[in-house]
Amino acid sequence: MAKSLLIISRQAPWNGPSAREALDIALAGGAFDLPLGMLFLDDGVFQLAADQQPTAVQQKNLAANLQALPMFGVEDLFACSHSLARRGLAADTLALPVQVLDNAALAALIARFDQVVTL
Amino acid sequence: MTTLHVIAHSPFGDERLASCLRLLGTDDALLLCGDAVYALRSGSEPHRQLQAAGLAQRLFALEEDVQARAVGNELAKAVDYAGFVELSLHYDKVNSWL
Repeated sequence: MAKSLLIISRQAPWNGPSAREALDIALAGGAFDLPLGMLFLDDGVFQLAADQQPTAVQQKNLAANLQALPMFGVEDLFACSHSLARRGLAADTLALPVQVLDNAALAALIARFDQVVTL
Repeated sequence: MTTLHVIAHSPFGDERLASCLRLLGTDDALLLCGDAVYALRSGSEPHRQLQAAGLAQRLFALEEDVQARAVGNELAKAVDYAGFVELSLHYDKVNSWL
C-alpha cells in the first residue's frame, strides 16, 4: 500500500512558483494513483478565487490545472475556514469544490496522512 | 499519527507560526530553527503566542541558532542537530513549513 501524502499549499497563486509546484506534485501523484490530499491554507486559499485573469500579469492560468485535480483522482480537497474568512472568501464562491475545515478538523486531517509536505 | 512541525522562517510578517499553532495536534511537536527562533524573544508578540499555546515539553529550538541570534530561550527545549535527528525519528512524520 502506497503511503498517503497530504500537500499543504499556502502561497498565493501569482507570487513565485510555489502554488504551481504544489499543484504539479498533486497532479503527478494522482497520475500514479497515490493516495493524496490537498489542503489550501493561508494565502493558498487565494488560488481558489473564481474568475482570476492572470494573463494580465503574464502568467498562465492555474484554473485549468486545479480543475484537473478530480480527473487525476485527487478528490480529497480541503480549505482552511479561518484562512478563507480572514481573506473575505466565501466557501460557496470558490472555483473548486473543497471541504472547508476548522482548526480541530485540520489537526485531525494532518494526523491521518502518512506524510505531509508544505509549500 | 504524530507530526513534528519544523519552522525555519521568521515569525514576523509571515503566518507560518500562527497557522502551525492553530492546527497543531495534541500529540504533535514544534521545532524552531533558523530565523524562526526569533519567536522565542521574550516580550515579543510570537513569544506571547507560544506561551498561550502551552506546548510545554512539545516545543523545541535548535540551540546553535538561538545562540547565534542572542534571542534567549526560557520557553523551548534546546536541541542540537543530533537531537533534531532523534526528534525526526520519534514522530511518525515531519512537516517542514517551506
